[in-house]
Amino acid sequence: MTVPNSSVPEEVRAVASDGTRLRYALMELSAQYKDAIALGRGDPDLATPAHIVEAINRAIRDNQTGLSPVIGMNVLRDAIAQKLREENGVPAERENVIVTTGGQEGLFLIMQALLNPGDEVLVPDPRYTSYDEAIQSAGGKIVLIPTDHEDAFNLRPEAIEEAITPATKAVLIISPGNPTSGIVTEDRLRAIAEIAIKRNLIVISDEIYEKFLYDGWKHFSIGSLPGMAERTITLNGFSKSYAMTGFRVGYVAAPANFIEAMAKVKAVTTGPAATISQWGGLAALQGPQEPVQEFHRIYTERRALMIDGLTRMGLNYSDPRGAFFLWTNSSSTGIHATELAYLLLKEAQVLIFPGNAFGEKWGGYLRISILQSTDLLREALTRMEPIISRYRAT
Amino acid sequence: MSAAQKLAVPLASRVAALPAAPDTESPAVVQATVASAAAQAMNAGHTHYTDRPGILPLRQHVVETLGATNGIEISADEVTITCGAVEGRFVALKQLVKAGSKVLAASADSLIAAPAELIGAGFTISAGEEGISLLYLTPADDPQQRDALLQQAAANGWWVIWDMSVSGSSSAFHPAQHPALAKKTITLGEVSELSGWRVGWMAGSEAANKLRAFKQSMTICTTSVSQWAALGLKGSQS
Repeated sequence: MTVPNSSVPEEVRAVASDGTRLRYALMELSAQYKDAIALGRGDPDLATPAHIVEAINRAIRDNQTGLSPVIGMNVLRDAIAQKLREENGVPAERENVIVTTGGQEGLFLIMQALLNPGDEVLVPDPRYTSYDEAIQSAGGKIVLIPTDHEDAFNLRPEAIEEAITPATKAVLIISPGNPTSGIVTEDRLRAIAEIAIKRNLIVISDEIYEKFLYDGWKHFSIGSLPGMAERTITLNGFSKSYAMTGFRVGYVAAPANFIEAMAKVKAVTTGPAATISQWGGLAALQGPQEPVQEFHRIYTERRALMIDGLTRMGLNYSDPRGAFFLWTNSSSTGIHATELAYLLLKEAQVLIFPGNAFGEKWGGYLRISILQSTDLLREALTRMEPIISRYRAT
Repeated sequence: MSAAQKLAVPLASRVAALPAAPDTESPAVVQATVASAAAQAMNAGHTHYTDRPGILPLRQHVVETLGATNGIEISADEVTITCGAVEGRFVALKQLVKAGSKVLAASADSLIAAPAELIGAGFTISAGEEGISLLYLTPADDPQQRDALLQQAAANGWWVIWDMSVSGSSSAFHPAQHPALAKKTITLGEVSELSGWRVGWMAGSEAANKLRAFKQSMTICTTSVSQWAALGLKGSQS
């Protein structure tokens, strides 16, 4: 589905084939609309839990804000390792952990420390296109692994096996996933682990949405499986789970020599994560977890509201088993997702990302986030409905 | 199952030549205005992503400082707040220097040597070598040598990084004062009083948008509360 002749402004059309630039172009455009409801970016609207803010204020009062080691504060690395062992079953000690300046930097460092030019990384399609940038920045090559709506965008082990070449170095797993909110189920993860061991591949497991699964689905970490400790790189962070995107703090767990290599790269690319953010991360791990449970309850309510609204409009969506998104099939409107997203912004002042911002073949989908209050979500649905109806009726 | 010490496959070859990461910590004393600015920012809910370039008042402060100190006229749109000067150094190199070409600096212990190694560029202190595409200078460099190198940069169309995070002379000199270098000079700085908060900036040049986009792809934005705290520092200095 190509972008047709339309009223879509040139600044959006010009970047329609570049997912990251397209998302930013739409966000910048939405800033022109005073009453825009943002259902685009994956930035939780909820407040950072008070005990985390208080821990940071305490660190500041105690002058605990000096430069930390590049690899991160030991007290935080120990806490992360403990969390990985106890919650995820991933064998980790301090030397297996590096604190990063958010999950996105973690991804960048992983690729710099892992890939030589020409190495291939298997990436599920659709995907958050920042993966592309991190892989390409290291000279790597992206090989897309197809996933399907009918399969709730679960990753198929046989599709991975078919895509492996002598140049394949790693497979990327994002579960729960962005943009689809699908998950890779435990049975599939076990099969993928067998392939990784048999074909000597590295698994990069992005688990940033691990706290938000619904309808009884459970998170499972592939790094917990026998034989996977030496070939799993686990990426996670605090941004999504604890609504602290602005602190820019995440972590990576991997074999110790790889963590040392990442630290070398980090030293000459960004330096240590902000010390205040690291104290915040420590408070997140060691403090009460009720705020996360409350976030989950809120997202569950919003998700149900959005599902109802989309169903009333006659749109179908992939089973959202986790994360914060409704990956919605908009092909029944007959217009390309870029144009539809623009119309929704211009006429309804609702910002939604078109599916092709997550891979060029997804111009028949929209990614709708639930990161607004229920009142605003209701208002967004009310505004969207006439536009969706207009095109579905023609 | 025990924690693994070694990855099952070889690491990227680019890592081998890099120095070990520093594991030192530095002490800090937080000024009252900084603590207050940070607390106010958190109370106001500034704990989420900022705009990609960084918060506007901090970018405007950079513009005003460069204007007042160096007579450089740029707009806030040409400023990006970074995670310390180290991120600005790497972003500029990665976007402006091709692997295989060379970075020229005035001294052998330059902070630019390791990031140049990471991107596969050469590093030299000899201006006569072939393949140079970027000149890295700091206020600590010898003024006579600096001026000679800048003449060569202007004549050869090299990019220039002027790294103000490295302390040195406090003169009003700035490479972008040279008309031929005004759009080829990237200025880097850092809020050195708040090193652990990780706030730096990159400013100017015709490549400003490109550099901003690459910074976003690496770290999305710089820690929000740190940016507001840096403004608090400005308050204490005035």
